[in-house]
Amino acid sequence: MRNTFLVCYDICDDKRLRTVFKTMRDFGDHLQYSIFECQFTPSDLVRCRHALGKIIHHKEDQVLFVDLGPVEGRGDRVITALGIPYSVIDSPCIVVDGEPES
Amino acid sequence: MLNEFVYCPRLFFYEWVEGVFAASADTLQGALRHEKLDAKTDALPAPENDGKIHSRSVMLSSETHRLIAGIDLVEGAAGVVTPVDYKKGRPRDTDDGPEAWPADRAQLCAQALILRDNGYRCDEAVAYYDATKQRVRVAIDEALVTETVQAIAAARALAAAGTIPPPLIDSPKCPRCSLVGICLPDETSFCDALPALASDAQLLLFGDDVEPLDRLVARTVATSEENVRRLIPARDDLRPLYVTGHGLIVGKRGEVLQIRNRDKTVQEVRVGEISQVSVFGNVQLTAATIQGLCWAEKPIAHFSYGGWFYGLTNGLGLKNVMLRREQFTKALDPVFCRGVARSMVASKIRNQRTLLQRNHLEPPTVILRQLKHYADLAGSAESLDELLGIEGIAARLYFEHFNGMLKIEAEGAGDAAPEFVLQLDHRNRRPPRDPVNALLSFAYSLLSKDLTITCHAVGFDPFLGFYHQLRFGRPALALDLMEGFRPLVADSTVITAINTRMVQPSDFIRIGPAVSLTASGRKGFLRAYEQRMDTLVTHPLFGYRANYRRILEVQARLLARVVTGEIATYPGFETR
Repeated sequence: MRNTFLVCYDICDDKRLRTVFKTMRDFGDHLQYSIFECQFTPSDLVRCRHALGKIIHHKEDQVLFVDLGPVEGRGDRVITALGIPYSVIDSPCIVVDGEPES
Repeated sequence: MLNEFVYCPRLFFYEWVEGVFAASADTLQGALRHEKLDAKTDALPAPENDGKIHSRSVMLSSETHRLIAGIDLVEGAAGVVTPVDYKKGRPRDTDDGPEAWPADRAQLCAQALILRDNGYRCDEAVAYYDATKQRVRVAIDEALVTETVQAIAAARALAAAGTIPPPLIDSPKCPRCSLVGICLPDETSFCDALPALASDAQLLLFGDDVEPLDRLVARTVATSEENVRRLIPARDDLRPLYVTGHGLIVGKRGEVLQIRNRDKTVQEVRVGEISQVSVFGNVQLTAATIQGLCWAEKPIAHFSYGGWFYGLTNGLGLKNVMLRREQFTKALDPVFCRGVARSMVASKIRNQRTLLQRNHLEPPTVILRQLKHYADLAGSAESLDELLGIEGIAARLYFEHFNGMLKIEAEGAGDAAPEFVLQLDHRNRRPPRDPVNALLSFAYSLLSKDLTITCHAVGFDPFLGFYHQLRFGRPALALDLMEGFRPLVADSTVITAINTRMVQPSDFIRIGPAVSLTASGRKGFLRAYEQRMDTLVTHPLFGYRANYRRILEVQARLLARVVTGEIATYPGFETR
């Protein structure tokens, strides 16, 4: 079962910040500066925490994992936007045919 | 190894005899923890040394016990040592305070025995539990040594015998076991109980007439107090990726697949979130992509532009050859093949009947009765040829009434008559000559792809079937498994896609005699197919709900159980 997580980080060193950003790209969607939206299984969460734990400075930096509950049926209840719209893409499969998504 | 054996002999058999492993959050956390511990490896000072001993990640072996162990930490001084093993979880709570679990005690005792064999003195061992940050001492006494030595011998005997032990019954160990989706403990026990009932019923009621499985099952389900526990998740949440665009290039950067059109990135997809990749026609994959997907054990299915399933790129896959060996032996046994094939064809016909009942406006009772008759005939057919005949007749009856399930009214009178009418004339293929046939063929192609992948995942050779006989390049076993699911998944997808207008007459083009889908039509149909695969259905035997993707795997694993002789009859999947 996957849960949606917001992963937010505050990293004091630019080099580490860059590494954290790059690492997080493997785990989720870049939502805003220093905020990623991820869909984690319990294993993914373990893997992500481990990967970040190796990068950050444990006395200076902070990463927060905010659990927003199951992905299934989340819809747009949990996150609403003001300004630029936010949308969840919920499809049983990913089809890439070269045309932009309608 | 010993730890697993004491925990569950079946787990031991899977992991150490068959080489099957599945990761869960728990095993992953343990592995990552050990990665850190193992980063530092120290030499272990000889027992004659006087100094203090504190060595991490020590690899030692013992000739007398024929054991080898990696010990996380060895502590002590002057030849008297204590092995320390790091455990992710928590100790067992007893009235006398925390205690090490039996499996951990056996493992520590084996480590102590090895240390003793190497000239150290060792009277005590320690299990360190990470969850509670507790050290739990284990005394290496005579009783524990005897038990451990016995367990070692039993494990060796089991591995040598080569027959898998039965699953634990209703054990609290199962729900968090990482192999539960492979082992199917409760499902296997449940099916194991079925044939016993069958023979009773046979003796008492019907002479040599065997009670049909579905009735038997209905009775068993009704009499059993509760349904089978659902130990495997209903959805795996991984989505398939289809790349259909002409000239697209799939590259990989980190753990992200980048799908590019010339230099423009069309879409990025994380490897961790997909279950498989299907590519259609002229799509290029970089070497890094193929390697990465093989490593992550995500199969790549290759289709022609028109949707013909060419093949599969897989990682090294399962190391387990035992199931294959059994499969090859059993495929030579005509009685076995007949038994499995009967069940498959009967399920297919019953499912066709169910589909008609559900979707046809007014299903002709004659047809329903006939289909029922043929399903029963299939259940007792004498030969594969006879089955083939029965299947053919049933299919003809079914497809004659297929149109009744397509609810598409005539379009507005003002429009020009569309080139295509979404009606099935008669079933034809290679090439399909009308839109409905094209959709059916495409759906079967997708389904055979999914079942070929499932066969690989379970450890079968997809090309050797029990009902479908050998033919070059035909995934016969995948087609065998597919029979019962043709109406439920493929036909149903076609009906839904047409009735809800996910595909429309304008989504087809004619090329010569063949009719095929346009790019947008294909996209719509793929969505419809995957939506169907994602639908939750109740398993008729076990009473829990899971999606079709999961059900396909469960059925394949049940067939594997039949092949290895753990359960007697293959229970086909039939919905009500």
